[in-house]
Amino acid sequence: MARLAMLIDESQCTACRGCQVACKQWNDREGWLYSRTRNRGSYENPPDLSPQTWTRIKFTEYEGPDGFRWLFLKEGCMHCGDPACVAVCPTGALKQQPNGLVTFERELCNGCGYCTQFCPFHIPRLEVVNPLTGEAKSSKCVFCQDRVTNGLLPACVKTCPAKALDFGDRDEMIAKGQERVKALKARGYTQANLYGVDQLGGLGRLYVLIAPPEAYGLPANPQYPALANVWQKIIQPLGNVAFGATLLGILGAFLFVRRKIRMEEVR
Amino acid sequence: MTVQLKGRAEAITIQWIPKYTTLERAAHWLHTATFVPLAITGMILYFPFLQPLAQGPAGMTFRLIHRVAAVIFGLLPIVYFIFQPRRLILNIREFLPSKDDIGWLKGAPAYYLLGRHEAMPPQGRFNAGEKMNGLIMIVAWFVFGLTGVPMWFGKGVIPPEVFRWLVVFHDLAMIVSVCMFLVHLYLAVAHPLMWAGLVSMRFGVTSAEYAAEHHAKWYYGPKRAMEIWEAKKREAAQKGGH
Repeated sequence: MARLAMLIDESQCTACRGCQVACKQWNDREGWLYSRTRNRGSYENPPDLSPQTWTRIKFTEYEGPDGFRWLFLKEGCMHCGDPACVAVCPTGALKQQPNGLVTFERELCNGCGYCTQFCPFHIPRLEVVNPLTGEAKSSKCVFCQDRVTNGLLPACVKTCPAKALDFGDRDEMIAKGQERVKALKARGYTQANLYGVDQLGGLGRLYVLIAPPEAYGLPANPQYPALANVWQKIIQPLGNVAFGATLLGILGAFLFVRRKIRMEEVR
Repeated sequence: MTVQLKGRAEAITIQWIPKYTTLERAAHWLHTATFVPLAITGMILYFPFLQPLAQGPAGMTFRLIHRVAAVIFGLLPIVYFIFQPRRLILNIREFLPSKDDIGWLKGAPAYYLLGRHEAMPPQGRFNAGEKMNGLIMIVAWFVFGLTGVPMWFGKGVIPPEVFRWLVVFHDLAMIVSVCMFLVHLYLAVAHPLMWAGLVSMRFGVTSAEYAAEHHAKWYYGPKRAMEIWEAKKREAAQKGGH
């Protein structure tokens, strides 16, 4: 199945935040629970992603070559081609679908929070009901799996009045993005670039940026957490060998010793 | 204390000598009673085939059991330290490596697998195997605590890069201590030579004859123990010669 992706043209985004509202409406995310609106000296709102806020426009005040301007970034799950969250999830709640969507089944999640700690972009958020007992659920953007698998666009894409968002076949999205970068460069945006083509097995969220990724707070070269590999591909298999060897050794010793050492001769 | 057992021809007399305090035995068994559920509930996140148990409310229930057990597991050594600090220090001191450990390593296969007593040089109150068990459990207690408490309360507070190391070290401590536990369990309940270990941990005493045989340096003192061992080796060599 062809991989799907979202193309986000940040040069077109007006930061109206219609996507934030559409996302909450479609996915039943309450607005007030974790992010009460308050004045923090910025138009940006809410202050961060949360279990209730799967997508959000991040505002950056940027001093570029052409002077000051806002940079807008539509944050949310990147739907990595090589998702660390899926690898470390012990419940199978997080899955990578054949169409590239990294989906989440809330019923299966036990709230261990590994995904929140191993995501290279720090996207999934834990909805902690009780910190003492550990009752919790993870939470993140799933590209409106229910809509997409039924031939609809994700809610945020559908609602975007600036036409900054597009969704579809990943190769097509890359071609569109590259086309757009070329056009922007021709118009004088010399730093325009397409983000997400090769990172982490190719991201499912492609950004047309008008400044270097670092200016938006995006890692230019995000890495799959090396420790996840050390843990799951070296330590855990070695642990299995250790358990197996110990059990076999004990069984062997048990069968051998009971023939060699006679209890009635032991003092 | 002397216990007389009625035998056929003559009474068998077992001389018992004290080995563990009541608190030590209670702490040992509570340690067992928490270590086992901790290991099982932890392994649910470790073994992929246990995934169904990790999912949803079941997973959260097992986490709750893990945390309740962890609190008791964590408090035990502290309670022990508060009430019997001298005993704790004495035991830890006896767990520290010594020259006897090399002799134990050389003699262990013949001693444990074939029951050849003369192969094992005299050992102190704890032999090298028991020391290994003790030290690994002490180190594991620290690692479990130092990684487990921040994993419990530090999510979102400590940087994810640090958190990842905590997960890895918690796993490592589990792998090492569970392997040690399995060996310890086998020796305690199923190995014919080690019969007195379980008695000591249940009643706090060990047989004098057993102590003389298996912990000679503790029973006789180093000099006398070596003399007896040399004699035992000579006897075994003579027997072998015939």
